[in-house]
Amino acid sequence: MRGWTTIYRRELAGLFLSPLAWILFCGTWFYNAYFYLRFLEVDSRGVVDDALQLTLGGALPFWFLMLFLPPLLTMRMVSEEAKNGLLEFLLTAPVGDAAVISGKALAATTFLALVWMCGPVFGLATHAFGATPDWGGLAAATLGAILVSGLFSALGLVWSTVFHTPLVSAFVAIVVNIVILFLPVTLASAKLSPDGFLRDVIAKVDVVANYQGSFQTGVIDTAHLVFFLAWTVTLVFLSVRLLERKRWLG
Amino acid sequence: MIQATELTRRFGRHTAVDGISFELARGEVVGFLGPNGAGKTTTIRMLTGFLPPSGGSVTVGGYDVLRESLAVRKKIGYLPESVPLYREHRVEEMLLFQGRLHGLARKDAKRRGADVLERVGLADRSRTVIGKLSKGQRQRIGLAVALLPDPEVLILDEPTSGLDPLQRIEVRRLIGELAEERTVLVSSHILPEIEAICPRVIVLNKGKIAADGTAEELVSRSPRASFVRLEAMVGFGEDAGAEAAKALGTLDGVVEVRELDAMGIHRTFEVVAEHDLREDVGALAMQRSWALRELSWHAPSLEDLFKRIALGLEDGEALPSEAEPARAATPSAEPAPTASGLPVLETTPPKPEPRVLNPFATPLDGGVSPGEDANPLT
Repeated sequence: MRGWTTIYRRELAGLFLSPLAWILFCGTWFYNAYFYLRFLEVDSRGVVDDALQLTLGGALPFWFLMLFLPPLLTMRMVSEEAKNGLLEFLLTAPVGDAAVISGKALAATTFLALVWMCGPVFGLATHAFGATPDWGGLAAATLGAILVSGLFSALGLVWSTVFHTPLVSAFVAIVVNIVILFLPVTLASAKLSPDGFLRDVIAKVDVVANYQGSFQTGVIDTAHLVFFLAWTVTLVFLSVRLLERKRWLG
Repeated sequence: MIQATELTRRFGRHTAVDGISFELARGEVVGFLGPNGAGKTTTIRMLTGFLPPSGGSVTVGGYDVLRESLAVRKKIGYLPESVPLYREHRVEEMLLFQGRLHGLARKDAKRRGADVLERVGLADRSRTVIGKLSKGQRQRIGLAVALLPDPEVLILDEPTSGLDPLQRIEVRRLIGELAEERTVLVSSHILPEIEAICPRVIVLNKGKIAADGTAEELVSRSPRASFVRLEAMVGFGEDAGAEAAKALGTLDGVVEVRELDAMGIHRTFEVVAEHDLREDVGALAMQRSWALRELSWHAPSLEDLFKRIALGLEDGEALPSEAEPARAATPSAEPAPTASGLPVLETTPPKPEPRVLNPFATPLDGGVSPGEDANPLT
C-alpha cells in the first residue's frame, strides 16, 4: 500500500489549511472546556476523573460531537475531489485505491485525535491546580475516543464515496450516525430490549456500549479494541470497493 | 509505446468508444482530434488507467493498463482538461506531493520541481499559493506537475486552454521540446495547434477512428478541392455574373466555378482547380477590366476535414458554409462541347432573389441557362 503516508500528509495539511477545520477545531475545544467545567461544578464531589470521563464519552456532549464532526471533515474528501478532477489526478498516480482511502481516513482520524487531546490537556491544567487525575484511565479514554473517531471517519468516507455532493454525503452520514449511536440507547431506555438475533445484531454495532464498557472505565479490553479496528477496516475496505465501482461505472 | 486494441467503453446503453485500435511509437507526437462527445477524453482516461475499458486492451510500455496498472501509471504523465491542483497549497508543495506520489525522495522531488518550474517559465512562483495564480499560470503548473516524474509518455488533454496567444506559443514550443524525448499524445479542439504540434493526427468521431495519419496525408485524402476565390466588380448587367463565371470556366485546369452572393457591386466566385490559378484568373481579370477586390488561393485544410467528419458529410457533399451561399455554375464532370469546341457550363436552378436594401445591388439570375451559348470568347 505504497503512497498512503504521502496522501495522509497532504490530507492532514489540507484540513489545517481549510477555515472550516479551524472553526471546528477551536469550536470543539471551547465546547469541551465548557462542559468539563460544568461537570466539575455539577459533581458535588468535584472529582476530576469523573469530569474527564464525562468529557471523553461519558456524557451526551461527546456523542453529539461525534454525530457531526466526522461527516463534516470527510464529506469533501472523495465527492468534491471527484467533481473537481483531483480524484482523477490521484487515481492516475502510481498509488492504489486503498492507499488513497486509508490516507484520507487516517488524516480525518488524526484531526479528531487532536480534538480529543483536550482531555489530557484539561487533565494537565487541573493537575497544575493541585488535583491529580488518573492518567491511565485518561489515556484509555483518549485512545477509545480516537478509535471511535476512526470508525466514524471511515463511515463518513463511505458516504463521501457514494454521493457526488459533499452536503448530501454529510447529511446522510449524520442521519446514519444518529441511528447507530442512539438506536440501542433508545431501545434500552424504553425497555424495548429485543431478543435473540436482533439483540446480537445491535450488540455488534453498539458503539456506545463497546466504548463505555471498556475504554471509559480505564480498561483496554481486546474484544472492544478489535470491535473498533474491525469495523474501521471493514468500512475502509467498503469505500475502496465503492471507489472501484465508481470507476467502472464511469 | 502505447498499443490500444479494439478498445471499447460503454456507459449503460451508450457506447462512447467503439472498438478503436491504434499504436503510438516511442518518441511519436500524436494529436487527438474530435468534436465534443467523440470519445477523446474517455479514450484518454482508459489509456491512463483511470477508466477501465468495457472491451479490448491497452498496453503502455508493454504493461497492461488493467492488470499492471501501477507500472503503467509510473510511465505516464497526465494533464487532465480540468487541471486538478490543490488550490490551498503552494506551487512547490503541489510539486513535492506529485514527486512523493511517484516515489521520489524528498530531495529529488524538490530538485525536479525546481527544474520543471523553470521549464514552464514559472520558477519565480514556487512559493505562490495555487489559488492565487491566473488560469494560464495554473495550466502551466498542471503541465509542470505532469512533467515532474519525467514520464516516458505524456498525455495532455487540452493543454493550452485558458492561455493567451503568447503562452500558447510557449507551450507549443515546450511540447515540441518534450517530443524529442518522449511519446506525447495531445488532445485539442484547436486545429491549427494540432497541425503545429503533431506530425500525426487521429480523428475520433462517435467513438470511432474517422481518420489517422499525418496532417498532409489526411488533407490530401480530403474530397474537398482547392480553389481560387475571386471578388471583383465584373459589370452591371443582369448577366454579368453568369458571363464572368463562363469566362472563368474556360481557363485551363478549372473543374468548377461557383458564384456566391453579390455584395453590392462586387461579385464573388470560387474557381475550383487542381492547382493555383491565381495568375490566370488575374490575367483574365485584367483582360476583362474587372476591378479586383480579392484574389486568394484556398487549399483544403485539416479544419475542413474535421468539419466534414464532425458533420458526417459524404465525399460529394459540400460543407454548409460553402453550400448555402453558392448559387452558380457547377460544370458536369465532363462538360459537353459546344459547336465551337468549348465546354458549356451546367447551371443550378436559380434561387429566388432575396430582397437586398443595397442600392447598388443588381438582381441576379443565377448561372447560365442551359443551351445558351456559354463561350465568352465567341
